Amino acid sequence: MPNSTCVKVNPLESASIALSGAEMMRANPYRPWPARITSITQLTETEKLFEFRFVDERIRSAFHHEPGQFVEVSIFGVGEAPISISSSPSKGGFIELCVRRAGEFTQRLHEMQCGDVVGIRGPYGNPFPFEEMKGHDILLVAGGLGIAPLRSLINNIHDERSEFDNVTIIYGSKNPGEVMFRDQFEMWRHRQDFDLYLTVDNPDDTWDGEVGLVTAPFAHLEVDAGNTYGAVCGPPVMYRFVVEEMRKKGISYDHIYMSFERHMKCGMGKCGHCQIGHQYCCIDGPVFNYWEAKNIQGSM
Amino acid sequence: MLYRVINADELPALIEAFMKDYEVVAPVAKGKSFAFEPIASFDEIVLDYPTTLTSLKKYYLPPKETLFEFNTGGGGDGIEPYEMSVKPRVLFGAHACDINALNNLNLVFDDSRYPDPYYDAHRKATMIVGISCSPTSTCFCHLLESDEVRSGYDLFLTDIGDRYFVSIGSVEAANILEAACDPREADDEDRSSFRKATRARQEAFDEGIPHIQEIPMLMDAFHSDEFWDELGGRCLSCTACSSVCPTCYCFDIVDVLDPSGATGRRDRVWDACTSPQFALVTGGHNFRSSTKERVRHRMYHKLNGFNSQHGRYLCVGCGRCVRACKADISPIEVLRFFEKKGADDAE
Repeated sequence: MPNSTCVKVNPLESASIALSGAEMMRANPYRPWPARITSITQLTETEKLFEFRFVDERIRSAFHHEPGQFVEVSIFGVGEAPISISSSPSKGGFIELCVRRAGEFTQRLHEMQCGDVVGIRGPYGNPFPFEEMKGHDILLVAGGLGIAPLRSLINNIHDERSEFDNVTIIYGSKNPGEVMFRDQFEMWRHRQDFDLYLTVDNPDDTWDGEVGLVTAPFAHLEVDAGNTYGAVCGPPVMYRFVVEEMRKKGISYDHIYMSFERHMKCGMGKCGHCQIGHQYCCIDGPVFNYWEAKNIQGSM
Repeated sequence: MLYRVINADELPALIEAFMKDYEVVAPVAKGKSFAFEPIASFDEIVLDYPTTLTSLKKYYLPPKETLFEFNTGGGGDGIEPYEMSVKPRVLFGAHACDINALNNLNLVFDDSRYPDPYYDAHRKATMIVGISCSPTSTCFCHLLESDEVRSGYDLFLTDIGDRYFVSIGSVEAANILEAACDPREADDEDRSSFRKATRARQEAFDEGIPHIQEIPMLMDAFHSDEFWDELGGRCLSCTACSSVCPTCYCFDIVDVLDPSGATGRRDRVWDACTSPQFALVTGGHNFRSSTKERVRHRMYHKLNGFNSQHGRYLCVGCGRCVRACKADISPIEVLRFFEKKGADDAE
């Protein structure tokens, strides 16, 4: 062998000597930061809402998200998963993640208790254009677990309610038992903060909301098209139908926003798993407007 | 760019000078093929090798690399102090396509938003010495603007007979070159020889590979064509194309537990968009469930998607996938399809 010598590099070293939380997070973007579970709410049979607080105060104060962004959550030994943030950025110091028990990682997360620690890095992705949406009517359409990222936007709008005109939420679920955050939404409807349409595919005896697909309420919806922003999130099959309803109401392509689901493995536009056409869902999305989405091969 | 000329018989001294401080990786004969491997002497190097089986990307993006180590104890940080070893290395004898490939990877991993500290450590410890080449029957770098390279190397040697026309890209390489060899200013004869050498290379490409204009636009225009059913239908999902490709950089991140279960490491390992599970999300939806969609996506990223993001083709036309694919799927097939479409229209 030639006389070469190895250079030791510690990719985590700079993280330990950096001063500010932002510098710590930037030094090694693959490094998750410890975050403690401070609250768990059982939402449905398969969904829980977790509240997390970063253990390190510097990270806690440096972490700022916007509605529509996501984080990568680590359980060491199990792996990492991208999860959209469900809480509003207007409430600082913690983040809420709405998690469906669907695979090994989420099963393990669901088994955790208050006080347990996970790793979190982020936030990642392009958010909904919250500032741009101000002063307009907002039409939000969620299907199933699609309510998770939209709830961040909904709560943010609610916290600055006077900045927006009419706000309408259409939220479709398969069964009444799968409807999440219902008490909160019903309360806001009662206070006339929002117009709310809850629909289910399969009603039971207790159901007093609408029945049918998430597109059904569009039949009797009045939309001020020139003054409306749409926001959509749901299962893959839903987008095409909902955005077409919004188009029929006259909402411009670039005022219809949607959050896409893909497997954002690294969150930083490198690993390739979340590619849609020429875009990375993680850094170019996950929020795209309809015009952008139309220009992405395979987006819908 | 600074140019100098050295005699061909000065090359062993240059290699020896590099070997003092670096591991030198160079093309060597490997059965009937060629491979980049660490060498112990100049004599092992095959200067006029055609193309190696695998590319140089493993030196920047190893097939498996540990990101950090952790404990599963809970309650604490979980992350253990971790050091990676990076070997100072000279990649000697890289062809223009392969240097262009590394330049493409740089665009992804040195992205200013999320610079990758692991990739960066490898890159900073590496010197690149390129060498001119003659195209093989599967080379199509000239169609994808990768037959010449203007940055991303420390030295680039163009064979002009019994001497080399040397483009010098870094002060570190200039110092070593000046200490080991006797570089002189190029004269008119050198410049004329250089011109002849580049023209000879241009004229040596296989003309059977169609020269297509507006490839990115065509990738969009023919996105729904039946061609992709046929091409994808042949794919065996073996991912050999991605393994040998110098610009396939997709990876997976996996946690590996030690037998005790108390400690482990998080690794980054090569992955491939042609792998069936690649676009699968939790809950079971696969966004590219068919070989058609996966093959088309890979080609689309190489010949359109990367262009949209970075203004250049991701594919550098090295031809490795052409030889690696058992089902004859390659960008050349895509170019032939576009050629056929043009011919059909003309009829």
